[in-house]
Amino acid sequence: MIEVSGLTKSYGKSRGIDNISFSIPEGQIVGFLGPNGAGKTTTMNIITGYLSAGAGTVKIAGIDVLERPIEAKRHIGYLPEQPPLYLSMTVEEYLDFVYELKGVKSTGQQAHIAQICDMTGLSDVYRRVIGHLSKGYKQRVGLAQALVGDPDVLILDEPTVGLDPRQIVEIRNVIKEMGQSRTIILSTHILPEVSAVCERVLVIANGVIVADDKPETLAGTVSGERRLVIRVAGPKDGVGRLLNGVDGVRSAKPLGEMEPGSCDFLIESTPGVDARKPVFSALAGAGHPILMLRPQDATLEDIFLKLTEEGT
Amino acid sequence: MLAVFKRDLKAYFTSAIGYIYLGAYIFVLNLWFYIFNALGGSSSLTSIFDFMLIVMMFITPILTMRVFSEEYKQKTDQLLFTSPAGLPSIVLGKFFSSLAVFVCLLLLTLLWPLTISAVGENNIAEVVGNYAGILAIGMAYISMGIFISSLTENQVVAAVGSLGLIVALFLLEFLPMYFFSGALPAFVIRALRFVSLYARHSNISRGLLALDDIVYFLSVCAVFLFLTARGLEKRRWA
Repeated sequence: MIEVSGLTKSYGKSRGIDNISFSIPEGQIVGFLGPNGAGKTTTMNIITGYLSAGAGTVKIAGIDVLERPIEAKRHIGYLPEQPPLYLSMTVEEYLDFVYELKGVKSTGQQAHIAQICDMTGLSDVYRRVIGHLSKGYKQRVGLAQALVGDPDVLILDEPTVGLDPRQIVEIRNVIKEMGQSRTIILSTHILPEVSAVCERVLVIANGVIVADDKPETLAGTVSGERRLVIRVAGPKDGVGRLLNGVDGVRSAKPLGEMEPGSCDFLIESTPGVDARKPVFSALAGAGHPILMLRPQDATLEDIFLKLTEEGT
Repeated sequence: MLAVFKRDLKAYFTSAIGYIYLGAYIFVLNLWFYIFNALGGSSSLTSIFDFMLIVMMFITPILTMRVFSEEYKQKTDQLLFTSPAGLPSIVLGKFFSSLAVFVCLLLLTLLWPLTISAVGENNIAEVVGNYAGILAIGMAYISMGIFISSLTENQVVAAVGSLGLIVALFLLEFLPMYFFSGALPAFVIRALRFVSLYARHSNISRGLLALDDIVYFLSVCAVFLFLTARGLEKRRWA
């Protein structure tokens, strides 16, 4: 559905993005991950035809965005990083305008817009001026705008920014629901979002794609060693020495005293070994009760550090 | 094109710009009409149209400064330029919405010939000629303003820049007189005079409505709208 090949764009001397290629089949939801300035927005702007690439091509449903922009753009709904809202219009006026602007051919404008408002939870604020809405609602209006005309491809640049936790869940559900019949690229720097919504992740750093995989595999490959946070009742020095001596523990870093009379450690286990049982036996044997033990999953920061370290 | 036209026209009158533009114009011009036509007892509208040509140079930038600048500022240009509406239709939609406000103004000024017809007699040819001339000039100025507005996201810069462009084009033929007297070959001087707005202004304000002047203003309008569309296309490559 989306074919990107050899995309390159430079800003002055610095390379915005460098030779990016990927292809996304119909109906897939793809997460586009990357730190700020990695080139996510640039790539999305090129796919939607807002910017042009220095080199490379983008095809939407087999149509080249550069050669036949008008036809290609009919297939795309785009929510940019900052929603493109006319603040002095009401939600109703705005969505009507977008409907006309996109030249939607279907009949039943009112029904179509009412359905979108329903999906994005805008029905309550339908007649209010956009400039007076909260950030979360503005974000929803932006999302609704992308949905007008029922495009088969949705490009969403950080769709859940500024929403409260309940709204985030709602919007994710909306995205998942839409993803059943559409191809979606969404950019984010929130890892749980990717695992909650996406079937595939593209990680971009410094303008190149450094990983392209399923979210679960990605998290697994990065954290080859499991990490555990443990809180033990007892003296820091003694417990530390004990932990470092346990089989399967590669290192135990003290994290300080969070609770009186106890100490916290971050344990990195040797790859492929479950260190929880030996740690328990060792501490139980020495008479130090475990107050807390929890696995610490790789965070997005870890993934980036890891992937970008490997890249250089 | 229709969607952009309708939205922009509405935006003129949901913000203060449309009212300020019409209000300022009508206030200044009606004052003139009162002093020279009502108190002066003249039935000729030529002097007021002459004055209007000068006022237009200064007030048209207010009309056009927000056209693209505001879109850039609000980032709504992303919506327009990623929509299936092509650049030419976006530019034309915006041009016609500004032109529509200008036509509103002209409709308001119809009060003058109506007033005169109530107490005296209009020179129909003079009235029609003046309106045709001023409409053509208005189109040229609006397209220049839109072009400048498409270059910046700052509305003040757009307004001052448009004023600069219009005044520069207006005064172009005086350039050789004061700066390069004798140094320029005759064809350059003729070319400058051809491009300059001043002589054409004075033709129209003297009541000479020549076809080539009208064609000139319409061409200026077309050239700047074309440049706007090309410039927007080029922005993508920046």
